[in-house]
Amino acid sequence: MSPETLPPVRNPSDLRAEAAFNDWVRRLVKGAAELRAFDAGELDAVMDPATGTAILLPEAQAALQGSSRLVLSALDALPGEVCVLDAAGTVVMTTSAWRAFVAARAGAGLGVREGANFLAACRDAGPAERLHADAVAAGLRDVLAGARKLFRCDYVCHSPRGDCAFTLSIAGIARDGAVHAVVTRENVSERRRAGAARSSGRAKASRIAAVARAGTPNHLLAALPAKVYERLLSGLEPVKLTYGEVLYEPGEQMRYVYFPSDCLVSLLTVVEGHHALEVGLVGREGVVGFRLALGIPTASLRSLVQATGTAVRIKSDRFLRECRRSPALQVALLHFVNALMIQVTQTAACNRFHVVEARLARWLLMTRERLPSGEFHLTHEFLADMLGVRRAGVTSAACTLQRRKLIRYKRGVITILDQQGLEATACSCYRHRQVMGFEAGRDGQQSDDVHTGTRTRARRANWQRLWKREPRRVI
Amino acid sequence: MARKRTKARAAGAPITTVVVMRLYIAGAAPNSVRAIANLEVICRRYLKGCYKLEIVDVCEHPQRALADGVLVTPSLAKVSPAPVSNVIGNLSDTDSVLAALGLPAGAIE
Repeated sequence: MSPETLPPVRNPSDLRAEAAFNDWVRRLVKGAAELRAFDAGELDAVMDPATGTAILLPEAQAALQGSSRLVLSALDALPGEVCVLDAAGTVVMTTSAWRAFVAARAGAGLGVREGANFLAACRDAGPAERLHADAVAAGLRDVLAGARKLFRCDYVCHSPRGDCAFTLSIAGIARDGAVHAVVTRENVSERRRAGAARSSGRAKASRIAAVARAGTPNHLLAALPAKVYERLLSGLEPVKLTYGEVLYEPGEQMRYVYFPSDCLVSLLTVVEGHHALEVGLVGREGVVGFRLALGIPTASLRSLVQATGTAVRIKSDRFLRECRRSPALQVALLHFVNALMIQVTQTAACNRFHVVEARLARWLLMTRERLPSGEFHLTHEFLADMLGVRRAGVTSAACTLQRRKLIRYKRGVITILDQQGLEATACSCYRHRQVMGFEAGRDGQQSDDVHTGTRTRARRANWQRLWKREPRRVI
Repeated sequence: MARKRTKARAAGAPITTVVVMRLYIAGAAPNSVRAIANLEVICRRYLKGCYKLEIVDVCEHPQRALADGVLVTPSLAKVSPAPVSNVIGNLSDTDSVLAALGLPAGAIE
């Protein structure tokens, strides 16, 4: 409590002497018949019936003054910029932090010195501070008038050394029938900067979460060690690939590398004067644009999106950086390249030796394996291109399969009805599954939690065992 | 169980009475602050919630203190139950306070 809050204290000279005081109290106690006094300790004040006031005894008075000084020192030592205003808005007390601010900025940003009037300072504020100075003055008037207990406002102070953001609060203290005010100013520039950094961090985190949520994760990514995957994750962005979209043409620079999640990309070789022929099929088990990892920046095949779905992509330079940095990623890519090479060579042989019906069955099964549902949109022309045959040949083969109730083909939508029957019809190329380099489950549902599932862990463990056998530098 | 309790009451078990007290203090003077703290401890230990306490700051309401016949602070007045009694001091002497409140020392604990 400050000295001002205490009532006027009178020290009667006849009570200053200890003996006189003791005598007075003794007489007091004896004089009151009903008073059953127990001297249980010391006293602070005596009442003076003549004046009707309380008289603080010297010791209590000294203690109170000491504690007032302590309160003032404690207030001064507060790290915040605080000033106390009287009912007229004059600054009666400031903390050392407030004074330091005023000295450093020479009155800028409502820096009012002790003895000055806060309202006058607001009125005389420069044009840069006019707006918030008016708001502060209005708030202070409200607080001093008792219309509100607390006023708070945020403002920015422009200076050649940079902008500073402040939060100013004015709290009212009702005392002796008038309202005084405590003004607290806080420099929130650092906090705002930290908040902005955090929110940009949050944006990045939400982007990563979006990538993680975007459909079934790619098997190649899922099989990477967690550390490598997490590092890669910050560069990945989800993307929707639509049917018919060409990712790269032969000879074109590859700007992105794609990891399909639930879409399907055909790798087509373009022969002059002929239709493009499919030589490979990449789904969620692999990556499109792997040639980058081999050090070749251009595409050799046309990459055509065959089934609409989601994928994640990464910029080429970032992908290359990660490749160079992570042997684990290199090995994963080499495994995929090996599998794809086998698929391509097997497809070449298949196209030469096997009948259209068996090839169509194989192709449908391979597509089914890479897609979440057993129903996909395909036209006969497209199938003819994929298989390198005439349209009539595809129509005939599809009709045969449909007659045998293995598939249903209606308005360009193919539904696989009998998976086992189709497998029996397919050529031997499909049955060499390990040779074809595809191990994904047939049921798309299985892969929904591929990143956490036991199957993925098993794949990862298997992959890590493989990695241990590999020499450390592969490329 | 309910019957037993009735019997016990009929046999003259003490009925809890609420002690009404008024403590006169002088602002934040050291003995006044100590008196409040000491009285709180006594109330918590011996009265266990069966009390009403009013604290009067004689610096703010000197006339009230004079009207109540209080001449020094800190001063504790027991208003009810009768008899009325006063204790002067910072209430550090617990036995004296208990005696003034009509609670024999050690009997309650």
